[in-house]
Amino acid sequence: MNREITCIVCPNGCTLNIDFEKNGDGKTSVTSVRGNLCPRGRDYAVQEMESPMRTIASSVLVTGGELPLASVRTNAPIPKERIFDVMKEVRKVTVAAPVSAGDVIIKDVLGLGVDIIATKDVF
Amino acid sequence: MAERKMQKDVVIVGGGPAGLAAAVRLYDKGVKDILILERESKLGGILRQCIHDGFGLTRFGETLSGPEYAKRFIDETLKRNIPYITDTTVINVTPEKLVIAAHADGLIEVQAKAVILTMGCRERTRGALAIPGTRPAGILTAGVAQSYINLHNRMPGREIVILGSGDIGMIMARRLTLEGAHVIGVFEVMPIPSGLPRNIEQCLHDYDIPLSLSHTVSDIKGTDRLESVTISEVDEHLQPIPGTEKEYPCDTLILSVGLIPENELTIGAGAVMDDHTKGPVVDEFCQTSVPGLFAAGNVLHVHDLVDFVSLEAEALADGAAAYVQEGSLPACNIPINCGANVGHTIPQKITGARDFQLSLRVRKPIENAVIRVMDGDREIARRKVRKALPAEMIQFTVKAKYLTDVSELIVSAE
Amino acid sequence: MQIYDVAVIGAGVVGSAVARELTRYELKTLVLEKELDVATGNSSRNTGMLHAGFTYKPGSLRAECAVEGNQEFDTVARELGVPFKRTGKLVIGFTDQDLANILKFKRIGEINGVKDIRMISKEEIQRIEPNAGGEFAMHVPASGILDPMAYTIALAENAAMNGAAFRFGCRVTAITRVSKDEAAALMKADDQGDSIPGDNAPLYKVGTSGGTFPADVLYRIETSGGTFLTKWVVNCAGAYAAIISEMLGYPKYYQRGFKGEYFVLDKKAGAFLKTPVYPAPNDKGGFSTHATPTVDGNILVGPDSYLTEGLEDYANIKERLDGLFRDGSRMFTQMKREYFIRNFAGIRWKNCDPETGEVLDFILESDSAHPCTVNLVGIESPGVTSALPLARRTVKKILDGQDALGQPVAVNPDFNPIRKAIPRFSEMTIDEKREAIRKDPNYGQVVCRCENVTKAEILAAIHNPLGVSTMTGIKNRTRSMMGRCQGGYCQMRITELLEQELGLKPEDIRYQRENGWFFAGRMREVE
Repeated sequence: MNREITCIVCPNGCTLNIDFEKNGDGKTSVTSVRGNLCPRGRDYAVQEMESPMRTIASSVLVTGGELPLASVRTNAPIPKERIFDVMKEVRKVTVAAPVSAGDVIIKDVLGLGVDIIATKDVF
Repeated sequence: MAERKMQKDVVIVGGGPAGLAAAVRLYDKGVKDILILERESKLGGILRQCIHDGFGLTRFGETLSGPEYAKRFIDETLKRNIPYITDTTVINVTPEKLVIAAHADGLIEVQAKAVILTMGCRERTRGALAIPGTRPAGILTAGVAQSYINLHNRMPGREIVILGSGDIGMIMARRLTLEGAHVIGVFEVMPIPSGLPRNIEQCLHDYDIPLSLSHTVSDIKGTDRLESVTISEVDEHLQPIPGTEKEYPCDTLILSVGLIPENELTIGAGAVMDDHTKGPVVDEFCQTSVPGLFAAGNVLHVHDLVDFVSLEAEALADGAAAYVQEGSLPACNIPINCGANVGHTIPQKITGARDFQLSLRVRKPIENAVIRVMDGDREIARRKVRKALPAEMIQFTVKAKYLTDVSELIVSAE
Repeated sequence: MQIYDVAVIGAGVVGSAVARELTRYELKTLVLEKELDVATGNSSRNTGMLHAGFTYKPGSLRAECAVEGNQEFDTVARELGVPFKRTGKLVIGFTDQDLANILKFKRIGEINGVKDIRMISKEEIQRIEPNAGGEFAMHVPASGILDPMAYTIALAENAAMNGAAFRFGCRVTAITRVSKDEAAALMKADDQGDSIPGDNAPLYKVGTSGGTFPADVLYRIETSGGTFLTKWVVNCAGAYAAIISEMLGYPKYYQRGFKGEYFVLDKKAGAFLKTPVYPAPNDKGGFSTHATPTVDGNILVGPDSYLTEGLEDYANIKERLDGLFRDGSRMFTQMKREYFIRNFAGIRWKNCDPETGEVLDFILESDSAHPCTVNLVGIESPGVTSALPLARRTVKKILDGQDALGQPVAVNPDFNPIRKAIPRFSEMTIDEKREAIRKDPNYGQVVCRCENVTKAEILAAIHNPLGVSTMTGIKNRTRSMMGRCQGGYCQMRITELLEQELGLKPEDIRYQRENGWFFAGRMREVE
């Protein structure tokens, strides 16, 4: 199978032409990558197809603050297929003001080695 | 409370990424008598509601969320104790640079030596598109939806159709999906998407949200609340093709159909406007046609990367500092005009004696584009761009040493 | 539950005017409105003209009321605190045929009593309105422009201030004549807390007797929002008047719906046109598409005219909008696509002869075959201009009716015709602005950037005398959300203030209509 994606590693935005196969266990393996100007593009293509990672941003409820919500994000990418699981955890959380940008709201969410951190001060 | 009448060297209208970057740079250049006027309760501008990441890649080498990017500049502003007032709306700026603002404590009047306009932009509305149909509840622009969700903790709807593949629309497609709404599809009237490829990938493809190009909303149904939208294919004139109508039941229509620089104050101050950018005509110092009146950021022309906004604002601050310290700036008499395939350029006038930062957008996608800056037959500067897209502003420096004796520059892309 | 003296069906401009005029007398007045605010029908879907009266058949009720309403409006606008400009109107022509058609109208105007109509030259046209075309024109100084929504709100608020009760969300479903005993039983059951759906607001519980009229004519009006008892019923139901007419036992009059679509242009365009300029009428006396300045400085392009059968068929149609744009561009040369901020439509329900289709006059009737009712049907253009004259004639029918019953109605000594509008920050001078903020700091907080509407005005609108709490209700009382960004900046603030001030939950907020919910709920539910 073949797919074309735009590389997002640097502003060049190379169009990566990727050949890949779907294995018996449902996993994808890349067989070739064309169109990348640098090796990072190839790495990105492989990761995108075989184990895509994403950062997500959302909000948590704040009590006793000047705003009802504090924005949060993952401090590192998580596997794309776990996005909704992580969202479920984020939805459970209410924090009490004050919240500072950088505060760890959920440590090592779902054991993925990634924290959910606040991105806004709410006093 | 007595109303306040003040004198200031510089008044900055708008405490968002452009205004704050300008303030910090001005201060570091020795102009410290500054006052920032911000209409919200907090500094940060539109970034406060842009909670997704992707900001600051160029500027800080990190991928930050909007509030975090804003915080960098807010912290720098606070560190320097640069005066600012929030909950203040500027209602008039005169050509003589008298700034009048409304605040709960009284009317604020400031006579400034220089005024920096960084008010940002607004969104194009349904009315401006003259979409036919009824006028039920449930039709809103993407930025408003973003504000409701991220700042006010309100969910605007559950079954969503999005018109326009602008970045904000795509960001909201993802945001709404993450919060449990069902985004039925994104429809774009042009044959090419108007937002960044990264967003198409990470906001639409990731969530199996279909993107249909060359489609538009041709009718709206529902008396009290939106019940459905009719989507039609469009022809090369962007007109709906009869017979291609398809009805999509939904309860919310989100519009992401363009941003318009918010220039009422600029016009009120007498600045000459550019019909292409919808912002003021500026020179390489970001000075408008009114001496001492400067503009940067989305109010000048709509940006896609806030990193460029900060850069532009800092360049402005250099110019404004010089203006305040020397009383005037060198004349900019050399016009820059748009040639083939270029939609607009900033600035529109230069001295010809200094390096300057040229920003432009192409009119259509061009692979292996060559951007040329010409003075008649003489090539002044050239830049290669692998994939030039209207959605991505192009910026580069034009060196002074090539500008000797130029009379008019034309920027084109092939 | 009480017995009202008069129930007015419909809170459009006519119903609100009737209510206001009724409160000049000791008459317990009730207005029943199916929507959640006044003027949601055609009262707010028109050109906003104060017509002079030169197009109506001499001797008709239409002509009489138009001229009367036109001549008194400076006083009315002052009393009610509504914007009004007596701009005059130009009807321009180019050809001999145009001249002939225009002179016909001039003659009709003079017969109807319209003052100071003159034919003027090209040079004079240019002096009055530099952006108008035309070789010659008829100048009608009596014409003017007003805001029909603001006018209706003012009439309704003045009526409410003088004691009229307004009940929204009450669509009339049945009207039946009941005997005194039946009425007494209804009221007793209500007082005992038996479930008669509806009127439970303590405001209206006035002991067991309520009404003071020992007459034998009583009506029970059933609505979607409760049941009401009244002595008199006045039909001001606008698009639905023919249906209510039938409910009251009058004929169901034959009507045709002439739908017209409009474009609203930005105030920037408004700089180019100050005087309404109409093209010469066609041979049938109709006007084609024109551009009219609004009293707030916008421009309205339209209406066009085509038939519809849907009583509330207010949807805009693409072909129609395109046509308006084309025709409008010819009339108004400064037309630019970017000036368009929104569009809407209205329907003129005209009484017509079922055989010939000829347009007939306004119907305002009351007779002993339909005791204690006044029936107004087919009040379309010049409905806004005619509202108060029609209202006075309606009230007279009731007063005469009561006299005939031997139960004359007393004048209300406390009636106050003055109603003050919410002071607009955007219209104040610098000194007035300073003073306003000094007195009320909420005037210093601008909420709507495009129209410079402050928090003080939003709060005053939220706490309006009619108890209206929809987003469009706030919009129509302040001009917020009406500017370039159409609420893009301010609507979030306004929903917040609505929730705060009225104790509403997010799901309670309504855009305009009963099921027009605004929020699906909170994004994150609070525990």
